[in-house]
Amino acid sequence: MSNLVFGKYIPIDSVLHRCDPRAKIVSLFLLLIAIFLPSGWYGFALIAAFLLIGLMIAKLRISMVLKAFKPMLFMMAFLLIINIFSVKTGDLWFSWKFINIYSDAVLNTLYIVVRLLLMVTLTTLLTATTKPLELTLGLEQLMKPLAKLHVPTHEIAMMISIALRFIPTIIEETERIMNAQKSRGVDFDEGSLKEKISAILSLIVPLFSVAFQRADDLANAMEARGYVPGAERTRYKELKYHNRDHVLRILSLLVLAGVIVLAFVI
Amino acid sequence: MNAIEVKNLSYAYDSQKNALQGVSFNVEKGSYTTIIGHNGSGKSTLAKLIVGLLEPKSGEIYIEGLKMEEKNLPQIRNKIGIVFQNPDNQFIGSTVRDDIAFGLENHKVPTSQMDSIIEQYATLVRMQDFLNSEPEHLSGGQKQRVAIAGVLAMKPDIIVFDEATSMLDPAGKEELKRMIRSFHGNEDLTIISITHDIEEACFSDECIVLNEGKIVLEGKPEVVFEKADLMRKIGLDIPFSYYVKNLFKARGIKVHGDTAEEIAEELWQSHSKN
Repeated sequence: MSNLVFGKYIPIDSVLHRCDPRAKIVSLFLLLIAIFLPSGWYGFALIAAFLLIGLMIAKLRISMVLKAFKPMLFMMAFLLIINIFSVKTGDLWFSWKFINIYSDAVLNTLYIVVRLLLMVTLTTLLTATTKPLELTLGLEQLMKPLAKLHVPTHEIAMMISIALRFIPTIIEETERIMNAQKSRGVDFDEGSLKEKISAILSLIVPLFSVAFQRADDLANAMEARGYVPGAERTRYKELKYHNRDHVLRILSLLVLAGVIVLAFVI
Repeated sequence: MNAIEVKNLSYAYDSQKNALQGVSFNVEKGSYTTIIGHNGSGKSTLAKLIVGLLEPKSGEIYIEGLKMEEKNLPQIRNKIGIVFQNPDNQFIGSTVRDDIAFGLENHKVPTSQMDSIIEQYATLVRMQDFLNSEPEHLSGGQKQRVAIAGVLAMKPDIIVFDEATSMLDPAGKEELKRMIRSFHGNEDLTIISITHDIEEACFSDECIVLNEGKIVLEGKPEVVFEKADLMRKIGLDIPFSYYVKNLFKARGIKVHGDTAEEIAEELWQSHSKN
C-alpha cells in the first residue's frame, strides 16, 4: 500500500511547495474548469505547457505522473475498443474483415486520454507539493464562508486531519492482524471465493473492533485536553498570502481565460 | 488545601455491578500518590471520574476546591491533565509540534506564544530534537513523553498518569518512571499515578490500594507494604525490598532502607560492625 503514487506528498523544497494551500486549491479549480471546456487541441496544448512548467518548478519528474496514470490505462483501452466499434465517422484508416477503424474513433479516444492525463498531472501537482494537513487547513479556510450557513467547517477539517493522522497507524494494525491470522492458518492469497470472504472477515472484524477502541480513547484524550467541538480555539498554524500566491492565481486565471477564448471566441 | 477530595464516590457501567463503591480519599497538594490494584479493580474508572470524563453515579469530587459538575468542567479541565495508557491513541497532532499545540489551541493561547511554549516543554521531556517527527517514527516511550509535554504545557495543577508506562518496553518504562519522579517535589504539581507496578508505588508519598471497587488499604508505602498477606490475597505482590524487610522484621532485625540497594548497604555495614 505504501507504493501508491497518486496523492502522495513529495517532501522537497520548491516555490510551489511553499505556496499557500488556498492559492493552490483555487488554481486547481480554475484549471479543472479549463480542462473541461471544449477548447480543442490548442487549449490542451496551452494547459499542458502550463502544467509542464509547474512540474519543472516543483522539481517533479514526468515519470511520476505517468505512474499515477497507469491504473487508468485499462479503462482507456476499453474506451478505445468501444469507440472503434461505435464511432463510424471521419476517414476510414484501417479495414480488415469486420473491423473498420475510423479516424474519429481514435482521435476522440485520444482526446479523452489527454484530458485525463492533464487532470492527473494537475492533481498530482497539488498533492505532491502540499502536505495533507496543509490541504485540510486550506480547505477549512476556503470553506469559512459556509460556517455562516452552520456548516461545521472546523469539525470537518478536524475529522479529515485525524483520519489522515491515523492512516499509517491503521495500516500497521492491518498488517499486524493479517500476520496474526496467517499464523493461525488463514490464507489471504488463495482459495475459493467463499474462503476468501471468510479470510477477509477474519481481518475486518478485529480491525473494526480495535478502531472503535481507538476512537473511544482518542475522544477521551481530546476531551481531557480541553477540546470542545464548535468552541472557539486559537490556531497554531496560520496561513498568510505571499506574492508567489498571487502570481500563481493570476497565472491560472490567465490560462483559464485563454482556454475560454479558444473554446468560445475563435 | 487538598488538591483532590473524593467523597463517597460510586460508579457503575451499564448492567454491571458497581465498578466503584463508596470510595473516599483526599490527595494533598504537591504530593505524589499512587493508586494500585489489579485489572478490574476500578482504578481506571477512578481516573476517568477524577478528570471528569465520566459522571459519578453518586458521591462528590472536588478538584482544588471546585466541585466536579457540568458548569465547572471547563475550569477543572484547566487544572487537571491526564496521560493515558496507549501511546498511539492520545497522539492527536500529525507531528510532535502539532500535538503539543493541540491543547494550547483549545485553551486559546495566542498563536505568537505557542512556539516558545512548545519548545520549552518539548525540552523538558527531552523531545526537542523530534519536534517535526511524525508519530509513526517515534517509540512508545517517546510518544508518552510527548503526551506529558502536551499536558504540562497547559500548566495543570494536577497530572494523572493512567497506567502510562504499562505498554512500554522496559527501557521506556524506566525512563518514564524516572521522569514522573523528577516532577515530584514541585509544590505546584500534584501527581497521581494509577498503576499495577508496585515498584513505582515505593517512590510515592501515599498509596491507595483498590480491590473490587473499594479502598482496602491506604497510607505511606512502608505502612501498606507491611500488610504482605492482605496484598497477596487481593492478587497484588509487594516490592522485593519490602519482602526482604518484612522477613528481617520477623527475625527481629530492623532495616530502614527502601530500595534493595539501600538494604544491601545497611546489611554490609551492620555485618562489618559485628
